[in-house]
This record gives sequence, C-alpha cells and structure tokens, in this order.
Amino acid sequence: MTVEVLADRSARTRRDEEVDVVIVGAGPSGSVAALHLARAGISVIVLEQGEWPDYADFTGARPEHELVSTKLWHPNPNVRDNPNDYPVDTSTTDINPLMFAGVGGSATLYGAQWMHFLPSDFRVRSMDGVAEDWPFSYEDLLPYQLEIEREVGVSGLAGDPAYPPRGAYPFPALPMGSVGQRGALGMEKMGWHWWPGSNAIPSEKFGDLNPCVRRGTCLTGCPEGAKSTSDRSHWPLALKAGARLVTRARVKEIETNEQGLATGVVYVDANGRDRRQRAKVVILCANGVGTPRLLLMSGKAGNPDGLANSSGMVGKRLMMHPFASVLASYQDPLDSWRGPFGQQVYSLEFYETDESRGFVRGSKWNCMPSGGPVGVSGATGSKVYVAESGRFQDFWGANLHENVARRFGHSLIWGIVGEDLPEESNQVVLSKDMTDSDGLPAPQIVYKVNENSNRLLKFNIDRCLESVRAAGAIETLVSTPVRESGWHLIGTTVMGDDPKRSVVDQWGTCHDVPNLYVMDASTFPTSGATNPTATIMAVALRNTRRMIAERRNQKVA
Amino acid sequence: MSNQDTFFALADFLIPAHGKMPKFSDVCGYADVEKSLDFRIDLKPGFARGIAVDPANGAEACLESLNQQDGEAFSAITTIAIATYYMSPRVRELIGYPGQENVPYDSKETQIYLTDGSLGHVIARGRKYRPTPGL
Repeated sequence: MTVEVLADRSARTRRDEEVDVVIVGAGPSGSVAALHLARAGISVIVLEQGEWPDYADFTGARPEHELVSTKLWHPNPNVRDNPNDYPVDTSTTDINPLMFAGVGGSATLYGAQWMHFLPSDFRVRSMDGVAEDWPFSYEDLLPYQLEIEREVGVSGLAGDPAYPPRGAYPFPALPMGSVGQRGALGMEKMGWHWWPGSNAIPSEKFGDLNPCVRRGTCLTGCPEGAKSTSDRSHWPLALKAGARLVTRARVKEIETNEQGLATGVVYVDANGRDRRQRAKVVILCANGVGTPRLLLMSGKAGNPDGLANSSGMVGKRLMMHPFASVLASYQDPLDSWRGPFGQQVYSLEFYETDESRGFVRGSKWNCMPSGGPVGVSGATGSKVYVAESGRFQDFWGANLHENVARRFGHSLIWGIVGEDLPEESNQVVLSKDMTDSDGLPAPQIVYKVNENSNRLLKFNIDRCLESVRAAGAIETLVSTPVRESGWHLIGTTVMGDDPKRSVVDQWGTCHDVPNLYVMDASTFPTSGATNPTATIMAVALRNTRRMIAERRNQKVA
Repeated sequence: MSNQDTFFALADFLIPAHGKMPKFSDVCGYADVEKSLDFRIDLKPGFARGIAVDPANGAEACLESLNQQDGEAFSAITTIAIATYYMSPRVRELIGYPGQENVPYDSKETQIYLTDGSLGHVIARGRKYRPTPGL
C-alpha cells in the first residue's frame, strides 16, 4: 500500500473515540514519537495544522526560483502569509522566529545541517558557571542520536576531533565542492578546526529519500525529495505501523479534568469546526513558540496563567541562537550556486568557553554556497547585506552588474551560530492584538539579544574575516545579528528536577499534569550552539522509549 | 508615456547596459514582466502604484521618491525588474549561470581532503571538545 493511500485513509477518529496518545505537531519530534509509539502497538493520532508538502510546489529546479521562493517559501510565517501558519507578533523582538506548519514541520525549510550537541552543552553550569546543567549527559543521549541518524539517513564523515569518538555515519559525506574547499583553506591557513559537513541528506538512495543532486535549494524545499524531512523519513513508516495523521487540524486547547489530568484536545478542523479528540496522553511537539502558546491558551479558571504553569516558566527562557553571516568573494570561480546548501564544511574552533575572549560559551560556523544572482546582488529580497541607511543607487545601475560579477559564482557564506543563554525576560506570550485565521491569539515574542551574544558575535566575525582573507577574499560583507534568523526555537518549557523552577521533568512529563508531555526543543535547558534538530529528534526518541517502557505506570484520566 | 514605458524607464535605470551586460529592455519584454508578476501576485498592487508615477522628473527621481514614500511599490518594482532580468536566458548565459542545476556525483569517490593531507592536519591538531564524564 502506498503512502498516499495510507495518508488518505480516514484519519479522524470516531466521535468520542479515545486514543492512547494524541500528538500535536507532525514535525521532527512528533514524527519520531508517532512512529515508535505506533510500532509499540499504542494507538496514536497526530494533529497537524499544516498539510502534506506537494513537491511540485518546490521551485528549486525552475527559472523563477529566486522570485517565487522569497515569498512562497520564506521561513518567516508573517512574510509567507499562508493561512495554515499562525502569524507572530514580532513588534518586541530583535530576531524573528522562523517556522513552517506542515507534515515535516519547520524542517521543510531547514538547511539540514546535522550536528550533535557537544558534551559541554549538557554541563554548562558545572563547567562554565552559567545557566543550568541538563538532567542527562551527552553519553546518555548518544545511543539515541545514532539511532535517529539511521532513521533520518545522515551523510557525514566520522572522526571529528571536536567530538568524542562515535560510530560511522549511515552514508558518506556529500561532496565538498569548491565553496567548501575554499572555506576549509581559510581555516587551514589559520590552523583552526574544520570538518566536512554532516547533513540530513543521504548521499545515496535511502527509503523514500532520493540521493542529493546538489541543487542547492535546501532552504526553500527540496524538489528532489533528497533532503530528509519526516514526511519522507518517518511518516511512511508511521502510517504503515498504524499511526493516524489529521492535517489542517489546529489545536486550540488542551482539556483537563477535575483531577488536573489531560483528557484530550480541542482542535479546529479544515472546515473551521471545533472537534474534540479524547486521549489518555497528550504530547506537544509544536516547537518552542507553538508549544508554550498552546499551554498559555489552555488556561482556564483553574489555570489563569496557562496549563502546566505553576512554576511560571511556560514561555520563558526563549533562546533563538543569534546569528551572523559573512559573505566572502574570491577571484577564482567557486560555482557557488551549487549545493549542498546546508554545510559543506563546519568549524567548532570557537565552540568552548575561553574567558579571555570576554564572553562565555561559543559558536559553530557553517560554510554555505551563496546562491543565485538575485540573492548575492544584495539589491532586494531579505536585504541581508544592505544597510538601512544605504542609498538604493549603491545596489543598482552599474553597481548591480559589478556586485553580481564579483560575487555570483565566486563567493561563499560562513554562517555563525552563537550559543544563546537563557533569560526569563526573553519569552513567548499571547498577543493582545493579533490573531490567526481561526481567531486564536497569535504568539508575541519578547526578545533582546544579550550582551554576551553581542560580544560573542563580534569576536567570531573578526576571526571569520581573518580566515576568509587568509584564503584570498577580495570582498567581505557582514550581517549581524541577522534579524531573519530565528530558526532554532528553544527553551520555553524548560526541563528540570524542581517543579518550582521547571515545567517538565527529564522525560518531558509536565510536573503539573502527569499525562501531558512536551517533546520538542521547548524543554532544552540551554541551547548549545549547534543546529538542534538532531538533538530534538534524539530527545524525543529517548522520551518515547521511556513512555513505552512505563506505559503500565502511566497515570491517566 | 504609458505605464509600460514608465516601467522600462525605471528598469533601465536600475539595470543599465554595462560592459558586456545589456540593459533591461534589451533582453526583457513586457510579457516577461507580466509573467513574473503572475508568479508574485502579492507584488501587483505595489507594482501598479510604482508604474503610475509621473516620470517627468526622470527615472532616478521617481525611484528615489518611491523609496522614500512607498517602500512597497519600490520593492515591487525592483524585485520584478531584477528577477525578470536574471531569468533571461541571454543574461544567464552572459554570467555563466545554468540555474540551480542537477549535478550527479559518485558518493564513493574519494574526497580530495582525504588525500591532500588537509584533513590530517585537523586531526593532528588534536582533541577540541571538553570531556564531561563524572560531571
């Protein structure tokens, strides 16, 4: 039976049918939970506000790609303006959160950079005296990381001295390309760490995933079906295992009984009707903005500050990884429209704390191709490299031709991801003015880039400029912090042992509601500085395994 | 001057002939512009306002005015102009852009960094991570 047939089965449950588990969100974490719960014989239904991706809509192989993707596949839901998304009130944030609603979740538009957190990420309090340690360690999570890599189909090269020894990746690393080679050359000139990129893109055919053809359009959806997203890596298997998936189902409330236990959720279906899905257990996998939003929307008379919020921490400690980019142009041709986009090379040279630098924690760099002529012109679109005060004439006329001649095909971009330290003042709240297409309150982001991040980014940009110039750069352009860079939404239902200071325990169980779980990056106590999807999926797998093992002890309504 | 002529005047100021590169109107017709607008119907209102400006003071003054007073119209005009231009097969040929092409490769091919010693240097520089057992 094909995935299409399985997906077309009537997914909604019978009226008043109670399932074992309802999951909110069909992105990376929800997909992992659904697959493994279904395989364990547990009845599971997933409610997803978006739809299945239509790969014909991904424009990467077509001439109009740069024109269309800056709207249709923009990662900011406010720009995309798709009714399946909810808008976000960004009037009080330095960085815009980026996300996508659909089967596969925000990974639909991710670069597929696949990185584990490092050992020190789990022990920042013990090692650096800041924030909190995680309740578990790098070593505790590693087996789940490796299992998830096999499910996802990751390409990479083992042996990186920036990590403890680990097993081989499922697939060989993708070709580095001229961009990666030039990026590596700069690092080598400086004597700094670099390593061939690891990406959630199989270099060979794997299940429903095709081998990458280096189209270089990962960030706007992969028309080849080569980038690993859970609509291809997990959902075909989850559906075969019996999981059910309802799309265009926007959950508006988690319901509880007099004992404070979850009894299910209420969602708005594709026709705008309210429906109730009863369940013994509710799992939230709606990302670091959507999950606290839903908990805050579920506040009723007994929970005026939102559900599972006796600690007052729901929505707080939002981390989004302040991000800087350095574009460097070279005399030599680099074929810099070719992929893989995500990371041809990465560096962890400045990942660990060195107090002499004037900040704590560190950064991860990834080297990417700079893309097509419209993007590198700097003349339109996101205006990443255009100063607000810049005269438009600087980017048009003869300058346009010269900028494109210098950069197009000849440039690379180093992305610098900085660790974001948790602060309670950075948070998700409910907007008083803005609503989604169903009239539900939009999330409002209250977020300031802190001084540690500013110092971190400045230090790293200066080092990056040294590296690219050492490799012969003839032009450099810096953007910091990039406003459209909140891909990583972390920390808003923090895990911990103390119910007074945390929302969930180390297994994702809400302290206040023992049959309500959170399994996305909302639970992370700290953000690390690597791309978080690998850790999100591994933590979801760890939590799910625990839930299955403890199923007979699960308290339910 | 018709609205179409106004657009070409603005587009040719934004994208003039320079070196080997042709000006906008040498390689793009208005049908190409309309095709671009069909891909981005969200830009149509701003575009319509942009080409309705009085061109009497010249293209640069018109664009300066739009940039200061109607950012949406300025963005629509410039986005359509640049995207249409770089979709032109002739322009792509001149800058050496085949589009986001399919580049097959052999996944088993030995990468150069494994044979030229560069990755060996990274390994030789030693461990970077801080171990945490016991913490």
